[in-house]
Amino acid sequence: MPEPGLRGKLRLGYIVLGALIAIKIAEYLVGTTIPNGVWPFLTILALVGAWPILYYFMHINQLWHPKSRHDE
Amino acid sequence: MSRATTLVINRLTIKRLGLWLFILSESFLFLALLVVRFYLQGVQRPTELNQPLGFVISGILLLSSLTAYRGESAIAYGDEKLFRRNILFTLGLGILFLVGVGIEWAEGFRFFPPASGFGTVFFTLTGFHAFHVLTGLLALLTLVLPGQKGRFTPENYWAVEGIVKYWHFVDVAWVFIFPTLYLVS
Repeated sequence: MPEPGLRGKLRLGYIVLGALIAIKIAEYLVGTTIPNGVWPFLTILALVGAWPILYYFMHINQLWHPKSRHDE
Repeated sequence: MSRATTLVINRLTIKRLGLWLFILSESFLFLALLVVRFYLQGVQRPTELNQPLGFVISGILLLSSLTAYRGESAIAYGDEKLFRRNILFTLGLGILFLVGVGIEWAEGFRFFPPASGFGTVFFTLTGFHAFHVLTGLLALLTLVLPGQKGRFTPENYWAVEGIVKYWHFVDVAWVFIFPTLYLVS
């Protein structure tokens, strides 16, 4: 059984993946059902989809808040 | 905070900054290729393009990002077993993604060969991305053996963090490539 801190992180991972899959489904529906003029919506959805990966998975905020698990 | 701790934080910050600069430079390459798609083909795409398969392999790559994240989190908390399991899952999902791209390529050669307008864009973008996936897989592979020997600890896992960040970047690149190639019309 993972320790509580790790459990919280793993739970966060599932939440982020759920959000990403929901965005991907929305994107797919927009792209396959609307015949034309969809690129602005798709661009917005791609940007919205990229942000959780950058923030939660890649920890981009470590660049300006360098403290992490390594440093303790 | 002791001087030694400050030094470790500074070194880590420099490593991270270096990796992010590398990722930024790679992003410009992908961005240039995405712009080329619109420059050469506008928003046209062939009807034979296998959108459901593109959607499925997108899901596979997103799932691999979760397993990579779980692997990194596990080693940050010293759970080596969970780390190893998730890195192996990530490797498996990455290979599955490449198989999906291979199927797409086989169909692509039939319906829009590389010499055609869309084929040029499709094969260049997916090929360039698949090459990144392949290098990411090789990098992940280098974590397996040291991971088994217990080389990574919560105090020292920069190799894991760096490679997992690169893997996530490959995922972010696909987040933009998938709609640009498969959905824009």
